[in-house]
Amino acid sequence: MKVAIVDFGSQWTHRIHRTISYLGKESKILPVKAPLKEIMAYDALIFSGGAIRVGLGDVDQTGNARKYLDNFQGPILGVCAGQQFIGLHFGGKAQPSPGPEYGKVELFVDDKDEIFQGLPDRFTVWASHNDEVINTPGFKILAHSKDCSNHAFKSLSRPIWGCLFHPEVEHTEYGSQIYANFLGMAKR
Amino acid sequence: MKFDPSSFSQSAIESMRRQVGNSNAIIAVSGGVDSSVAAALASKALGSRIKCVFVDTGLMREGEAEKVKESLSSAGVQVEVIDESKKFLSALKGVSNPEKKRKIIGKLFIRAFEKAAKSFRAKFLVQGTIAPDWIESGSGLRDTIKSHHNVGGLPKKMGMAVVEPLRELYKDEVRQLGAFLGLPESLCQRQPFPGPGLAVRVMGSITPKKVEVVRKACAIVEEEIEAACKAGKMERPWQYFAVLLPVKSVGVLGDARAYGYTIAIRAVESIDGMTAKASAVPFEVIERISERITRQLKEHVNRVVYDATSKPPGTIEWE
Repeated sequence: MKVAIVDFGSQWTHRIHRTISYLGKESKILPVKAPLKEIMAYDALIFSGGAIRVGLGDVDQTGNARKYLDNFQGPILGVCAGQQFIGLHFGGKAQPSPGPEYGKVELFVDDKDEIFQGLPDRFTVWASHNDEVINTPGFKILAHSKDCSNHAFKSLSRPIWGCLFHPEVEHTEYGSQIYANFLGMAKR
Repeated sequence: MKFDPSSFSQSAIESMRRQVGNSNAIIAVSGGVDSSVAAALASKALGSRIKCVFVDTGLMREGEAEKVKESLSSAGVQVEVIDESKKFLSALKGVSNPEKKRKIIGKLFIRAFEKAAKSFRAKFLVQGTIAPDWIESGSGLRDTIKSHHNVGGLPKKMGMAVVEPLRELYKDEVRQLGAFLGLPESLCQRQPFPGPGLAVRVMGSITPKKVEVVRKACAIVEEEIEAACKAGKMERPWQYFAVLLPVKSVGVLGDARAYGYTIAIRAVESIDGMTAKASAVPFEVIERISERITRQLKEHVNRVVYDATSKPPGTIEWE
């Protein structure tokens, strides 16, 4: 199985690569400008976080990522800015968070859907976001925190997930399990 | 698969041999884990075609130059020490912008390496760059958090090609690799120290005096925290040090009014330096550090505070 990590410019993009390597899977970090054809050769897609503020006009900087979302049929996971981008693309509203979070956050799992399978109802995650995405039609919310209503969601029609927190960093509990659950959804 | 130091070192040595060919290379060592491990790899790969260079910037910890020579020569690596401390301190005098500090330091490092390379006819510069260095240095969509002197601080024009065997690794993996290569435990587990040294622990404009003050304060923090660990009062943090703040406050010393600077104590827990949590240092240890700093550095410092910020939103070092 091969995973493409689409780099939205996060400090932790390479940590996603490390987490996936530690799970014994192959992954490659690709720029958002990578041609769609290249992306289609992969079995799963991850959109990293990044400093870009997709809800405030920086969506112009996401290269071909919209095309990936429209054409890639395998599992897709968006992290932080990647999640906001997914929500925005499918009709949601990405906007500045009323309660931005940096560092430790207590996550409440509302739905133990595939990516949270086998995890506790609440645990500590690490976040770093100025913005968030709300009102995402066709998506179901899977987790929240005290300050943020949409910390994880899934598409009701396609294998697409997103989380606002960062499962790839060391201080997030069960982060590697979340990636393992996600990769478990890829066919090969 | 988890990191495998054995297969990693084998392929790193092979690719270093391929890249350098029959040329000579120098390696920049700082005494830290990353450059020491890179030096051990390079010496396995290149044998006598590698020369180690240590630049004394005048921004090192107390007794650092001596320690580096000792620990590397005990690992069988010969080091040339170049004392450039006057140059560094004079170029940094009065500079307060953290990115400017880093760029000046990167440039001076390279000038020193180029000089050392000339006499050795080296065409390659081996560096212990690890993943967080180039990540934080930024490029393209990725924001520059800090220009690490070995990446974003490098001048564009340089007379040597750079070889970076540890580029894909994080500190915890480098430590494992070091242990596999037979470096002493004390070196492998050494706490990280920033490339630009104490320059990024003096907030605001740099003077040799301020560097001296923060060097002493760092030594006190290290001594007290290590003593507390030995006594079983706490676990050794990932990193622990002092930062000199340009903030002055009023104090009273022996019934006389004082007006001095502030020291912040920083101690954090981390695995890879990419996220971190402030350490829960026992209050009695913080108190003891504060006591020693305000007594021993009373001419300059009359207030000590503890930094409780995680990363994010903070970074580990203050600049």
